Amino acid sequence: MTMNPSDPANFSRRAFLKGASVAAVGSRVGTEFSKGAELDKSSSILDKGSHPITLQVNGSKRELKIETRSTLLDALRDSLDLTGSKKVCDRGACGACTVLLDGEPVNSCMTLAFDAVDAEITTIEGLARGDELHPMQQAFVEEDALQCGFCTPGMVMSAVACSKRHGGSPSMDQIKNDMSGNICRCGTYPRVFKAIQAAGKEGGR
Amino acid sequence: MHSFELFLPDNIKDASLRGGPNAVFKAAGTDLLDRLKERIENPETLINLLEFKKDLAGINPQAGGFDIGSLTSIHDIASSASLAGPEWRALKQAAETTATPQIRNRGTLGGNLLQKTRCWYLRSEAFKCLHGGRGPSCLAVDGENRYHSVMGTLDCMRVHPSNLAPALYVLGAELSTQSGEESNRFPIAELYPELPLASEAEHTLSDNEILTHIHIPAAVTGTSTAYVESREKLSFDWATTAAAVLLVMKGKAILSGRICLGAVAPNPIPCDQAAEMLAGQDASMELFGKVAAAAYAKAVPLAQNEYKIELGKAVLRDALAQASGLR
Ligand SMILES: Cc1cc2nc3c(=O)[nH]c(=O)nc-3n(C[C@H](O)[C@H](O)[C@H](O)COP(=O)(O)OP(=O)(O)OC[C@H]3O[C@@H](n4cnc5c(N)ncnc54)[C@H](O)[C@@H]3O)c2cc1C
Ligand code: SF4
Ligand code: FES
Ligand code: FES
Repeated sequence: MTMNPSDPANFSRRAFLKGASVAAVGSRVGTEFSKGAELDKSSSILDKGSHPITLQVNGSKRELKIETRSTLLDALRDSLDLTGSKKVCDRGACGACTVLLDGEPVNSCMTLAFDAVDAEITTIEGLARGDELHPMQQAFVEEDALQCGFCTPGMVMSAVACSKRHGGSPSMDQIKNDMSGNICRCGTYPRVFKAIQAAGKEGGR
Repeated sequence: MHSFELFLPDNIKDASLRGGPNAVFKAAGTDLLDRLKERIENPETLINLLEFKKDLAGINPQAGGFDIGSLTSIHDIASSASLAGPEWRALKQAAETTATPQIRNRGTLGGNLLQKTRCWYLRSEAFKCLHGGRGPSCLAVDGENRYHSVMGTLDCMRVHPSNLAPALYVLGAELSTQSGEESNRFPIAELYPELPLASEAEHTLSDNEILTHIHIPAAVTGTSTAYVESREKLSFDWATTAAAVLLVMKGKAILSGRICLGAVAPNPIPCDQAAEMLAGQDASMELFGKVAAAAYAKAVPLAQNEYKIELGKAVLRDALAQASGLR
């Protein structure tokens, strides 16, 4: 099967992976399935090697070659040189790796890169417009909402999603709830909360 | 994490047939990746159930209750308008208090019910314990056991970590599974081993059986439910004890009740005898105190977790008070 990856109609995981280095499983039938079960030919398998995929990151299509086991965080940092998302716990427990998948915050360390093929990925690098900071980034600067800054990229991504979800004016309870997956060992929470309130409507842009 | 091949099934039957001892099903992977990264499991193949997101995610009203797809995210349950009524409240409260916004956005209901215990010995490559299949004994019995079981003296002191399972117990949920072309439907209690010994897997699904739906039956008039848990932090923490309750009320009178405890034993623990004490009584904190004492009557603490028993009783009292409207 051939496809044009720049045509959004073709941009489904299934179509794309099949266009890439995927073996049809038909050939495995009989050796793997003792009960003589038949698999439909349209299921597919990606072997342990590397495979080309395309991710939609910050509005552009990025091609890369990754192993099946690569997390989205590793793909962003190691293959695409987008090192803004941080690896701290690598277990879904701190939020430093938070990115937006179709607008919703997720832990990129607990997401396989292959599972992000169909999604729009927004990382911290995707927020600013050229040299102009995103309003949430600007609010973090103005409210002095960071110390060492290591948690900050993840904080900002959750903050943007929080602001957007609540129409730019989240209550303190909503902020605390939405930010509860981001841990800051420098204890910047009160200023982060203030920054989210200060960013106002533009914070969820 | 070791390398694995990734199987992208076209249909549920294919996914099931690919199951086996060296393969593991993956939903969002928020629990599974943790186990793979720790190298406590090293499967050859991951079978990606997310291919079925379109078919198996969603909360659909059905005969007065709901059919919920196993791939429905915890966030979608927590924010569901259909589940807003008091009769379903326990499920929503259990979902709202699970993990973090990021995990709730991706983690699925099926994965929550089938996740492995968080016992820190089991979860670490460095420790070799009986239930992990790598050592001769339970390391928690005489080790660091403040979060472990208080409900008995089996050979594994793990606790079941799921918030949603106790809520689904009191709601009388049933599960549908598919293996090959065969489908099965059974009460949620049968998802967990009758005697949860170290040698037992934590759930009873076979290695080619896929959980497809969770069915919640219609609620009787007067039904009210609640889920309450204790934890060390205000937000984003595992439960130290948990209680889900269902009451059928007529005014102040309780016609019948159901109770299920979480985070205190290797399985969710239904407390039928304690719940029977509720039937025919008027709601009162005194009654709820007696019921809570009965629910924990057989509790046996380990060296570091005696606190769980008093705390667990208080949490159950709170849940009963919420469901009855006393609080
Ligand atoms: C930081 C953190 C905090 C957490 N806190 C809590 C908490 O407070 N309370 C709580 O209850 N949970 C908590 N969790 C657990 C979380 O709810 C689960 O990780 C999540 O629900 C698992 O869903 P998943 O889709 O990612 O499952 P996966 O990780 O993909 O799968 C989990 C297991 O279920 C099996 N599986 C999944 N779906 C199916 C299916 N349909 N059929 C057959 N097998 C299947 C997989 O083989 C695997 O063994 C927490 C997790 C993290 C990482
Ligand atoms: S409680 Fe169970 S899982 Fe934990 S160390 Fe003991 S045997 Fe292992
Ligand atoms: S690095 Fe992903 S949550 Fe900590
Ligand atoms: S600013 Fe240092 S960890 Fe948050």
